[in-house]
Amino acid sequence: MIKDFLKHLFPRAVLQRNLTLSYTLCLGGVAFTCLMLLAASGLLLLFYYQPAPAAAYPSILLLESSVWGGRYLRSLHRLASHFFLVLIVLHTLRVILTGAYQKPRELNWLVGCALLLLAVFEGYTGYLLPMDQLALWATQTGMELLHIMPLGGALRAALVPDGVGEPASLLRFYVLHILMIPGALFFLSGLHFYRIRKNKGVLPYL
Amino acid sequence: MKRGYQKSSPYFFRLIKIALALTVLALMALAALVPAPLQEQADLARVPNPVKSAWFLLWIQELVSYSKYLVYLVLALTVGFIVLPWLSRSPQHQGACWFPRESRVVCCVALATCVAVLALTLVAMCCRGANWQFVSPF
Repeated sequence: MIKDFLKHLFPRAVLQRNLTLSYTLCLGGVAFTCLMLLAASGLLLLFYYQPAPAAAYPSILLLESSVWGGRYLRSLHRLASHFFLVLIVLHTLRVILTGAYQKPRELNWLVGCALLLLAVFEGYTGYLLPMDQLALWATQTGMELLHIMPLGGALRAALVPDGVGEPASLLRFYVLHILMIPGALFFLSGLHFYRIRKNKGVLPYL
Repeated sequence: MKRGYQKSSPYFFRLIKIALALTVLALMALAALVPAPLQEQADLARVPNPVKSAWFLLWIQELVSYSKYLVYLVLALTVGFIVLPWLSRSPQHQGACWFPRESRVVCCVALATCVAVLALTLVAMCCRGANWQFVSPF
Protein backbone atom coordinates (compact mmCIF):
# COMPACT_ATOMS: atom_id res chain seq x y z
CA MET A 1 0.00 0.00 0.00
CA ILE A 2 2.84 2.41 0.91
CA LYS A 3 4.61 1.52 -2.33
CA ASP A 4 1.46 2.34 -4.35
CA PHE A 5 1.00 5.62 -2.48
CA LEU A 6 4.61 6.66 -3.16
CA LYS A 7 4.21 5.72 -6.84
CA HIS A 8 1.23 8.08 -7.10
CA LEU A 9 3.27 10.95 -5.65
CA PHE A 10 5.39 10.95 -8.78
CA PRO A 11 4.47 11.08 -12.47
CA ARG A 12 4.25 7.73 -14.29
CA ALA A 13 6.87 8.86 -16.78
CA VAL A 14 9.54 11.54 -16.60
CA LEU A 15 11.58 13.34 -19.20
CA GLN A 16 14.91 11.59 -19.54
CA ARG A 17 16.66 14.98 -19.37
CA ASN A 18 14.95 15.66 -16.01
CA LEU A 19 17.02 12.87 -14.50
CA THR A 20 20.27 14.68 -15.27
CA LEU A 21 22.08 14.95 -11.93
CA SER A 22 24.41 17.73 -13.07
CA TYR A 23 21.41 20.07 -13.20
CA THR A 24 19.62 19.54 -9.86
CA LEU A 25 22.44 17.80 -7.94
CA CYS A 26 19.57 16.17 -5.99
CA LEU A 27 19.95 18.94 -3.38
CA GLY A 28 16.24 19.43 -2.68
CA GLY A 29 15.58 15.72 -2.33
CA VAL A 30 18.60 15.24 -0.07
CA ALA A 31 17.46 18.21 2.08
CA PHE A 32 14.02 16.58 2.40
CA THR A 33 15.73 13.32 3.40
CA CYS A 34 17.46 15.27 6.20
CA LEU A 35 14.06 16.64 7.26
CA MET A 36 12.66 13.10 7.49
CA LEU A 37 15.71 11.97 9.47
CA LEU A 38 15.25 14.99 11.78
CA ALA A 39 11.60 14.05 12.33
CA ALA A 40 12.50 10.43 13.10
CA SER A 41 15.39 11.23 15.48
CA GLY A 42 13.45 14.12 17.07
CA LEU A 43 10.47 11.85 17.72
CA LEU A 44 12.72 9.48 19.68
CA LEU A 45 14.31 12.36 21.62
CA LEU A 46 10.82 13.44 22.73
CA PHE A 47 10.55 10.34 24.92
CA TYR A 48 13.22 11.75 27.28
CA TYR A 49 13.22 15.54 26.88
CA GLN A 50 11.44 17.63 29.54
CA PRO A 51 10.56 21.21 28.48
CA ALA A 52 11.02 22.89 31.88
CA PRO A 53 14.04 25.10 32.78
CA ALA A 54 15.09 23.02 35.78
CA ALA A 55 14.44 19.63 34.14
CA ALA A 56 15.63 20.19 30.53
CA TYR A 57 19.38 19.96 31.13
CA PRO A 58 19.15 16.95 33.51
CA SER A 59 16.96 15.18 30.95
CA ILE A 60 19.70 15.65 28.33
CA LEU A 61 22.30 14.35 30.82
CA LEU A 62 20.10 11.33 31.50
CA LEU A 63 19.67 10.76 27.76
CA GLU A 64 23.43 10.91 27.19
CA SER A 65 24.54 8.85 30.19
CA SER A 66 21.82 6.29 30.84
CA VAL A 67 19.93 5.71 27.60
CA TRP A 68 21.41 3.22 25.16
CA GLY A 69 22.25 5.17 21.97
CA GLY A 70 21.00 8.43 23.49
CA ARG A 71 24.21 10.38 22.90
CA TYR A 72 24.37 9.08 19.32
CA LEU A 73 20.73 9.97 18.68
CA ARG A 74 21.32 13.56 19.82
CA SER A 75 24.43 13.84 17.64
CA LEU A 76 22.48 12.51 14.66
CA HIS A 77 19.68 15.04 15.22
CA ARG A 78 22.12 17.93 15.53
CA LEU A 79 24.17 16.90 12.50
CA ALA A 80 21.06 16.35 10.37
CA SER A 81 19.85 19.84 11.30
CA HIS A 82 23.17 21.38 10.17
CA PHE A 83 23.04 19.48 6.89
CA PHE A 84 19.38 20.38 6.38
CA LEU A 85 20.18 24.10 6.62
CA VAL A 86 23.26 23.91 4.40
CA LEU A 87 21.49 21.78 1.77
CA ILE A 88 18.41 23.99 1.64
CA VAL A 89 20.66 27.05 1.11
CA LEU A 90 22.62 25.23 -1.62
CA HIS A 91 19.34 24.14 -3.24
CA THR A 92 18.12 27.77 -3.22
CA LEU A 93 21.42 28.89 -4.75
CA ARG A 94 21.09 26.20 -7.45
CA VAL A 95 17.56 27.41 -8.25
CA ILE A 96 18.86 30.98 -8.65
CA LEU A 97 21.91 30.03 -10.72
CA THR A 98 19.80 27.96 -13.12
CA GLY A 99 17.02 30.55 -13.39
CA ALA A 100 14.45 28.02 -12.15
CA TYR A 101 12.73 30.66 -9.98
CA GLN A 102 11.41 32.53 -13.01
CA LYS A 103 7.84 32.53 -14.26
CA PRO A 104 5.80 30.31 -14.36
CA ARG A 105 7.51 28.94 -11.21
CA GLU A 106 7.20 32.07 -9.07
CA LEU A 107 4.69 30.49 -6.65
CA ASN A 108 7.03 27.56 -6.00
CA TRP A 109 9.88 30.03 -5.47
CA LEU A 110 7.81 31.74 -2.75
CA VAL A 111 7.07 28.36 -1.14
CA GLY A 112 10.81 27.58 -1.24
CA CYS A 113 11.69 30.91 0.39
CA ALA A 114 9.14 30.18 3.15
CA LEU A 115 10.74 26.74 3.61
CA LEU A 116 14.22 28.30 3.93
CA LEU A 117 13.08 30.87 6.50
CA LEU A 118 11.16 28.22 8.45
CA ALA A 119 14.24 25.96 8.43
CA VAL A 120 16.31 28.76 10.00
CA PHE A 121 13.57 29.40 12.58
CA GLU A 122 13.36 25.65 13.32
CA GLY A 123 17.12 25.53 13.89
CA TYR A 124 16.94 28.59 16.14
CA THR A 125 14.11 27.24 18.32
CA GLY A 126 15.91 23.92 18.67
CA TYR A 127 19.12 25.64 19.80
CA LEU A 128 17.64 26.59 23.19
CA LEU A 129 16.23 23.20 24.13
CA PRO A 130 19.34 21.55 25.74
CA MET A 131 19.48 24.52 28.16
CA ASP A 132 23.26 24.52 28.48
CA GLN A 133 25.38 27.68 28.40
CA LEU A 134 25.82 27.50 24.61
CA ALA A 135 22.05 27.18 24.09
CA LEU A 136 21.09 29.98 26.46
CA TRP A 137 23.54 32.60 25.23
CA ALA A 138 23.20 31.79 21.54
CA THR A 139 19.43 32.19 21.88
CA GLN A 140 19.85 35.36 23.92
CA THR A 141 22.10 36.84 21.20
CA GLY A 142 19.59 35.81 18.53
CA MET A 143 16.92 37.69 20.47
CA GLU A 144 19.15 40.80 20.60
CA LEU A 145 19.51 40.58 16.80
CA LEU A 146 15.74 40.26 16.44
CA HIS A 147 15.22 43.23 18.75
CA ILE A 148 17.10 45.65 16.46
CA MET A 149 14.91 44.71 13.47
CA PRO A 150 11.69 46.59 12.69
CA LEU A 151 8.84 45.04 14.75
CA GLY A 152 11.51 42.94 16.47
CA GLY A 153 10.42 44.10 19.92
CA ALA A 154 6.88 42.81 19.40
CA LEU A 155 8.16 39.52 17.98
CA ARG A 156 10.53 39.12 20.90
CA ALA A 157 7.73 39.76 23.38
CA ALA A 158 5.63 37.09 21.67
CA LEU A 159 8.43 34.53 21.61
CA VAL A 160 10.02 35.29 24.96
CA PRO A 161 7.41 36.74 27.33
CA ASP A 162 9.43 36.05 30.47
CA GLY A 163 13.10 36.06 29.40
CA VAL A 164 15.19 33.53 27.45
CA GLY A 165 15.26 30.14 29.19
CA GLU A 166 12.39 30.95 31.55
CA PRO A 167 9.40 28.56 31.74
CA ALA A 168 7.02 30.25 29.25
CA SER A 169 9.68 30.97 26.64
CA LEU A 170 11.16 27.46 26.82
CA LEU A 171 7.67 25.99 26.43
CA ARG A 172 6.97 28.22 23.42
CA PHE A 173 10.27 27.31 21.76
CA TYR A 174 9.51 23.63 22.45
CA VAL A 175 5.99 23.71 20.96
CA LEU A 176 7.22 25.69 17.95
CA HIS A 177 10.17 23.32 17.46
CA ILE A 178 8.38 19.99 17.75
CA LEU A 179 4.93 20.78 16.39
CA MET A 180 4.18 24.03 14.60
CA ILE A 181 7.30 24.61 12.49
CA PRO A 182 7.77 20.92 11.49
CA GLY A 183 4.06 20.79 10.58
CA ALA A 184 4.48 23.86 8.39
CA LEU A 185 7.71 22.46 6.90
CA PHE A 186 6.05 19.17 5.89
CA PHE A 187 2.95 20.92 4.57
CA LEU A 188 4.97 23.37 2.47
CA SER A 189 7.28 20.55 1.27
CA GLY A 190 4.18 18.71 0.02
CA LEU A 191 3.03 21.88 -1.73
CA HIS A 192 6.56 22.34 -3.16
CA PHE A 193 6.53 18.81 -4.66
CA TYR A 194 2.97 19.29 -5.94
CA ARG A 195 3.96 22.52 -7.70
CA ILE A 196 6.95 20.76 -9.30
CA ARG A 197 4.51 18.22 -10.83
CA LYS A 198 2.15 21.01 -11.79
CA ASN A 199 5.02 22.85 -13.53
CA LYS A 200 5.84 19.65 -15.43
CA GLY A 201 9.05 18.56 -13.73
CA VAL A 202 12.14 19.97 -12.12
CA LEU A 203 13.64 21.41 -15.28
CA PRO A 204 12.25 24.73 -16.47
CA TYR A 205 11.29 25.59 -20.03
CA LEU A 206 11.27 22.04 -21.35
CA MET B 1 6.38 5.48 -24.14
CA LYS B 2 6.77 8.89 -25.81
CA ARG B 3 10.17 9.75 -27.21
CA GLY B 4 12.52 11.31 -24.64
CA TYR B 5 10.51 9.97 -21.69
CA GLN B 6 11.33 7.17 -19.25
CA LYS B 7 9.12 5.29 -16.82
CA SER B 8 9.47 6.64 -13.27
CA SER B 9 9.67 3.09 -12.02
CA PRO B 10 12.43 1.96 -11.95
CA TYR B 11 14.61 4.78 -13.42
CA PHE B 12 13.48 7.80 -11.37
CA PHE B 13 12.72 5.81 -8.21
CA ARG B 14 16.16 4.18 -8.34
CA LEU B 15 17.80 7.61 -8.26
CA ILE B 16 15.63 8.69 -5.32
CA LYS B 17 16.40 5.50 -3.40
CA ILE B 18 20.16 5.82 -3.95
CA ALA B 19 20.20 9.51 -2.89
CA LEU B 20 18.09 8.74 0.19
CA ALA B 21 20.22 5.76 1.23
CA LEU B 22 23.54 7.57 0.72
CA THR B 23 22.36 10.63 2.70
CA VAL B 24 21.06 8.57 5.61
CA LEU B 25 24.16 6.37 5.71
CA ALA B 26 26.56 9.34 5.50
CA LEU B 27 24.75 11.19 8.30
CA MET B 28 24.59 8.09 10.48
CA ALA B 29 28.31 7.47 10.03
CA LEU B 30 29.23 11.12 10.67
CA ALA B 31 27.03 11.27 13.79
CA ALA B 32 29.16 8.51 15.29
CA LEU B 33 32.31 10.57 14.67
CA VAL B 34 31.06 14.05 15.62
CA PRO B 35 29.38 14.11 19.05
CA ALA B 36 26.95 16.93 19.85
CA PRO B 37 28.50 19.40 22.33
CA LEU B 38 26.99 19.88 25.77
CA GLN B 39 28.36 22.62 28.04
CA GLU B 40 27.52 23.35 31.70
CA GLN B 41 23.93 23.99 32.72
CA ALA B 42 22.56 27.38 31.59
CA ASP B 43 23.17 30.15 34.10
CA LEU B 44 22.15 33.76 33.47
CA ALA B 45 24.65 34.93 36.11
CA ARG B 46 27.62 33.57 34.15
CA VAL B 47 27.94 35.51 30.90
CA PRO B 48 30.50 34.06 28.47
CA ASN B 49 32.81 36.44 26.64
CA PRO B 50 32.35 36.67 23.70
CA VAL B 51 28.68 35.79 23.43
CA LYS B 52 28.00 34.26 20.04
CA SER B 53 24.72 33.42 18.34
CA ALA B 54 23.89 30.17 16.57
CA TRP B 55 26.33 29.46 13.71
CA PHE B 56 23.74 30.18 11.03
CA LEU B 57 23.08 33.67 12.49
CA LEU B 58 26.73 34.55 13.12
CA TRP B 59 27.03 36.47 9.83
CA ILE B 60 24.23 38.83 10.94
CA GLN B 61 25.89 39.28 14.34
CA GLU B 62 29.19 40.10 12.66
CA LEU B 63 27.47 42.52 10.27
CA VAL B 64 25.58 44.45 12.98
CA SER B 65 28.75 44.65 15.07
CA TYR B 66 29.92 47.28 12.52
CA SER B 67 26.62 49.19 12.61
CA LYS B 68 23.19 48.19 13.82
CA TYR B 69 21.68 49.84 10.73
CA LEU B 70 23.27 47.11 8.59
CA VAL B 71 20.36 44.92 9.71
CA TYR B 72 18.36 46.80 7.06
CA LEU B 73 20.77 45.41 4.46
CA VAL B 74 19.88 41.90 5.65
CA LEU B 75 16.17 42.72 5.39
CA ALA B 76 16.60 44.33 1.96
CA LEU B 77 18.50 41.28 0.66
CA THR B 78 15.82 38.95 2.04
CA VAL B 79 12.98 40.92 0.44
CA GLY B 80 15.00 41.29 -2.78
CA PHE B 81 15.49 37.53 -3.11
CA ILE B 82 11.82 36.81 -2.28
CA VAL B 83 10.57 39.08 -5.11
CA LEU B 84 13.27 37.87 -7.52
CA PRO B 85 10.83 36.37 -10.11
CA TRP B 86 9.22 39.80 -10.51
CA LEU B 87 12.54 41.68 -10.69
CA SER B 88 14.31 39.69 -13.40
CA ARG B 89 13.53 39.39 -17.08
CA SER B 90 11.68 36.37 -18.46
CA PRO B 91 13.85 33.60 -19.88
CA GLN B 92 14.62 33.58 -23.56
CA HIS B 93 16.59 30.37 -23.81
CA GLN B 94 14.86 27.10 -24.65
CA GLY B 95 16.58 24.63 -22.36
CA ALA B 96 17.50 24.57 -18.70
CA CYS B 97 21.08 25.62 -18.04
CA TRP B 98 23.46 26.97 -15.43
CA PHE B 99 24.16 30.72 -15.45
CA PRO B 100 21.58 31.70 -18.13
CA ARG B 101 22.73 34.74 -20.11
CA GLU B 102 19.76 36.98 -19.22
CA SER B 103 20.14 36.29 -15.47
CA ARG B 104 23.86 36.94 -15.24
CA VAL B 105 23.46 39.93 -12.87
CA VAL B 106 21.17 37.95 -10.54
CA CYS B 107 23.65 35.04 -10.54
CA CYS B 108 26.56 37.36 -9.68
CA VAL B 109 24.61 39.05 -6.86
CA ALA B 110 23.55 35.66 -5.46
CA LEU B 111 27.11 34.30 -5.56
CA ALA B 112 28.55 37.50 -4.04
CA THR B 113 25.95 37.33 -1.24
CA CYS B 114 26.85 33.71 -0.51
CA VAL B 115 30.58 34.48 -0.42
CA ALA B 116 29.96 37.47 1.87
CA VAL B 117 27.76 35.43 4.24
CA LEU B 118 30.38 32.69 4.36
CA ALA B 119 33.22 35.17 5.00
CA LEU B 120 31.29 36.98 7.75
CA THR B 121 30.43 33.65 9.38
CA LEU B 122 34.08 32.53 9.34
CA VAL B 123 35.29 35.85 10.77
CA ALA B 124 32.70 35.74 13.56
CA MET B 125 33.41 32.07 14.26
CA CYS B 126 37.20 32.09 14.22
CA CYS B 127 38.43 35.67 14.58
CA ARG B 128 36.33 37.14 17.40
CA GLY B 129 37.62 36.99 20.96
CA ALA B 130 36.72 38.65 24.25
CA ASN B 131 34.65 41.87 23.87
CA TRP B 132 34.25 40.99 20.19
CA GLN B 133 37.85 42.05 19.54
CA PHE B 134 39.50 40.82 16.38
CA VAL B 135 41.91 37.97 17.16
CA SER B 136 44.07 35.79 14.98
CA PRO B 137 42.54 32.36 14.34
CA PHE B 138 46.02 30.82 14.56
